Amino acid sequence: MTRLERFRAMLTLRHFDEACLEGVPTGEIHGELHTGIGQEAIGAGMMESLQPGDAVVSTHRNHYHALAAGVPMKPMLAEIFEKASGLCRGRGGHMHLFDAEHNFSCSGIVGASLPVALGYAYSFSMKGQNNLAVGVTGDGGANNGAFHECLNIAGAWKLPLVVLVENNELAISVPIGDVSATATIAERACAYGAWGKKVDGTDVDIVAEAFAEAAHHARSGRGPAILEASCHRFRGHFEGDHDSYRTMKEKREMRERHDPITIARRKLLAEGLAGEAELDAMAEASQREMAELLAEVRAEPLPEAAGALDYLFVGGKR
Amino acid sequence: MSSAVRNLSISQTVAEAIGLEMERDENVMVMGEDVGKIGGVFGATRTLQKRFGDKRVRDTPISEMAFTGMGVGLAMAGLRPIVEIMFVDFIGVCLEQVYNAMAKIPYMSGGNVRVPMVIKTAGGCIGSAAQHSQCLWGLFAHLPGMKVVAPSSPFDHKGLLSAAIRSDDPVVYIEHKALLLKKAETFLNGGHVPEERYAIPLGKAKVVREGSDLTLATLSASVEYALEVSEDLAREGIDLEIVDLRTVVPLDSETVAASVSKTGRLLVVDEDYLSFGLSGELVTRVIEALGPGGLKQVARHAVPDVPIPAALSLEEAVVPGPASIAQAVRELAAVS
Repeated sequence: MTRLERFRAMLTLRHFDEACLEGVPTGEIHGELHTGIGQEAIGAGMMESLQPGDAVVSTHRNHYHALAAGVPMKPMLAEIFEKASGLCRGRGGHMHLFDAEHNFSCSGIVGASLPVALGYAYSFSMKGQNNLAVGVTGDGGANNGAFHECLNIAGAWKLPLVVLVENNELAISVPIGDVSATATIAERACAYGAWGKKVDGTDVDIVAEAFAEAAHHARSGRGPAILEASCHRFRGHFEGDHDSYRTMKEKREMRERHDPITIARRKLLAEGLAGEAELDAMAEASQREMAELLAEVRAEPLPEAAGALDYLFVGGKR
Repeated sequence: MSSAVRNLSISQTVAEAIGLEMERDENVMVMGEDVGKIGGVFGATRTLQKRFGDKRVRDTPISEMAFTGMGVGLAMAGLRPIVEIMFVDFIGVCLEQVYNAMAKIPYMSGGNVRVPMVIKTAGGCIGSAAQHSQCLWGLFAHLPGMKVVAPSSPFDHKGLLSAAIRSDDPVVYIEHKALLLKKAETFLNGGHVPEERYAIPLGKAKVVREGSDLTLATLSASVEYALEVSEDLAREGIDLEIVDLRTVVPLDSETVAASVSKTGRLLVVDEDYLSFGLSGELVTRVIEALGPGGLKQVARHAVPDVPIPAALSLEEAVVPGPASIAQAVRELAAVS
C-alpha cells in the first residue's frame, strides 16, 4: 500500500465506525457498541501484510480488524445494524462478526480470541500452508490466562501466530500500569521464545512496517510474534460508558495530539506527498460513500421473527 | 464379519472408532493431555499416534483453555478435531471456549460457520471424590448449541462416536470411567462390536429391555446397572422397560413417552445431579407429551445435589448404583 492508500484506509475505518455511532441514539444498535475510533492506524497498518487464507481472530472491538481482513463492508454494516441481509443474518450483531470466506472471527469475551487464533495457526502449520493467524487482544486481555497458555504453545510448537496487542492503556477504567508486572506487553515475548516489539500505534506507517516484520517472522516458521501497538481509545469503553476515569482536559489533549488520521495527514503534507485539497477531497468522498452505504443498510429489513430458532444445528432447529 | 463378541474394553472400541474415522477422513485429528505417547490415561486413543503421527494425535500441555479454543479454530479452518478433556470435571477451566465459542458460533454466524468439533471426556463415579466423579451432561445440555452424547454399550460407544466425529455440529461425548476399562463380553447389552466402521444416528433412544410395568429411562453406566437388577425385579413381579437415552441433546423423549403410555410409570435414573437437570427435563417433556393424566406414577433417582463424597460408604449413599436403582423401582412400583 502507498502512504496515501494507508491514509485512505484509515478514513474508511473512521467513517465506518462513525456510521455505526449513528445507530446508537436511534436504538438501531444497542448493547455495548465498542468503536475503534482513535485506533485506526492499527487496523489500516495490518491490512497490507495479510494474505489470502490468513486468519484474524479479533475482540469485542473488532470492526477495524474485520475490514483489514477483507470482510465486505456492506454485509458487515448490515450485521452491525442487525439486518436480515447482515453477514450473520442478524444473529451476531456488532460484537460477533464471522466470515468463513475470509477466515475472520471474533469474541466478545476479553481474552478468548487467542485460543481460536492458535487453532488456525496449528492448522496452517499442520497443512504446510504459508499462512498466519492474527490473534488480537487489548492490554486488558493480555492479562488473561489464555495469553500465557497460547503463547507458550505457539512458542513450543513454532506456530505462525501474531499476537497483536492494541494497548490503549485502559481495561475499561483500570490503567495497564497498575495491573501489569511488566512495563510493556511486548517484553513478555522472551518468556515464550517469541519475537516482540512495542511501537507507536498512532502512526500508520510505523504500524505497517512493524506488522510486516511480525508477519514475516511468523510466516518463516520461527514461532509467534507479539506486536504491541500503543494507541488511544477516543470514546468510552462502550457507547454509554461515562468515561469518568479521564478528565475532560486529558480527553481533549488526547484527541488533539494522538489522532492517527491527523498525524498521517501532517506527515503527508510535510513530505509533499499530497496537498490539502486532495486530502480534503479524499475525506469528503469517503464520508459520502459511507453515508450512502449507511442509507442502503438502514433500508434493509430486520430478520423474520419466525427464524429465531434457525441455524442452531445443521439441518434442524433443536 | 464374525458375530462373536470380541474381547475388547470400551476404551479399545473408542480408539477403534477414532482410528477408522481418521483413516476415512484426513481432517480428523485428536488433541489433549496424554492422548499421544501413552494413548490416553484410559487408553481410549491407544496406538493412534503411532499410526497417524504426532501432528494429528497431539499431546498438549495442561492448557485446556488454549487447546479447547484451538479446537474451535481448527474446526473453523476445516479440520475435525477431537479435543480430549481428560476428566469432565476439568471443564471449568475451559468452559468459556465450549459454551461461548464452540456452541454459539454456528448460530451467531447465522449458519455461515460450522464448528465440527468433538469434546471427548470421561465422567462418572469410580470412587474419585468430588472433583473427579461428576457427569455434568446436564450442564452441557442446558447450554444451547452442542449435542451431548453419553453412551452405555460397547456397540454404542463406537457407533455414537463415529456419528459425533462426522457431525457438522459440535458434540460433547461423555464416556463413563467405570465402563472404559470394562470388557465387551461382560456387558448385558450391546457387547458385540463389529470391526468395520458404522455410525448410530444421534438423538435416537433405544429400548434395551422390553417390559410392561414401569419405564426406567437412563443412560451411560446406569443402563447396565438397571439391566443387572432387572431380572431380580422381574422375579419380584416388576417387569421393567428400560430405555437407554444415548444422547441428552437431542433428547428422544418421544421414545420414552411411547413407553410410558404403555407402562404408565416413569422412573428416571441419572448419575448427574438431581436438580435443574436431565431428570426434571425428561419428566416434563413426557408430561407435556402425554398430558398430566398420562402418568400414574413418576419418580427421579439422581445425585441429591451434593458434591460426590470420598468415603465409599458416603458415595454409595448418593450415587445411583444397582442396589439403589432396584430400591427406587420397588418404591415406585409399590405405590398403587
